[in-house]
Amino acid sequence: MTDLQKYVDLTVEVITSDGRVIVGTLKGFDQTTNVILAGCHERIFSETEGVERVPLGLYIIRGDNICLIGELDQERDASIDLTEIRAAPITDISRR
Amino acid sequence: MLPLSLLNTAQGHPMLVELKNGETFNGHLVNCDNWMNLTLREVIQTSPEGDRFWRLPECYIRGNTIKYLRVPDEIMEMVKEDTLRQRPGPSSGNRGRGSRGGNTGGSRAGSSSGRGGGSGGGGGRGKSKNR
Repeated sequence: MTDLQKYVDLTVEVITSDGRVIVGTLKGFDQTTNVILAGCHERIFSETEGVERVPLGLYIIRGDNICLIGELDQERDASIDLTEIRAAPITDISRR
Repeated sequence: MLPLSLLNTAQGHPMLVELKNGETFNGHLVNCDNWMNLTLREVIQTSPEGDRFWRLPECYIRGNTIKYLRVPDEIMEMVKEDTLRQRPGPSSGNRGRGSRGGNTGGSRAGSSSGRGGGSGGGGGRGKSKNR
């Protein structure tokens, strides 16, 4: 968990157990993997339309709900046209 | 920066809290603790489907039911000011020499058992260096 330190101040993608994909700058975290994400937005995937990008702002996400945190290569990410991406959303695993 | 210090700084400010069951609570943060338990004032509660609303003068939320909190952007700046204000004060004195490396370490400088525990305390703090 301490390895999260190397992501601080970088852009990360967080996938939560309800299947949301949230992208933002990791500003902090603690022992229970609660995280602070600054300037974040949600990416909503769909099989029929392009990715919808919803601005969210400053978030504290509770560790309980976090499935994955990964560094995002900003250059590569910028080179992807999200409006062209068609993909099924991730399933909610929080209510099983 | 710790998520709970951000939350502490957000006291008195408006925020949105979403619970694991999808309900949301919009209100002003009155109080919070180390378990993320909260009290909010002047609250609008929204059902998970977003189709029903309730007004509550005050509510208490148990921390472990929370999914996420949305706080105003300004709070980030305020946390930095808060920590700057708290740090130099109590730790200005004998702090420098004693502690090994002395990077961010235990933020509550004043409360450690003092100089006597120097070496022992240093060891304990050493751990936090890895993070």
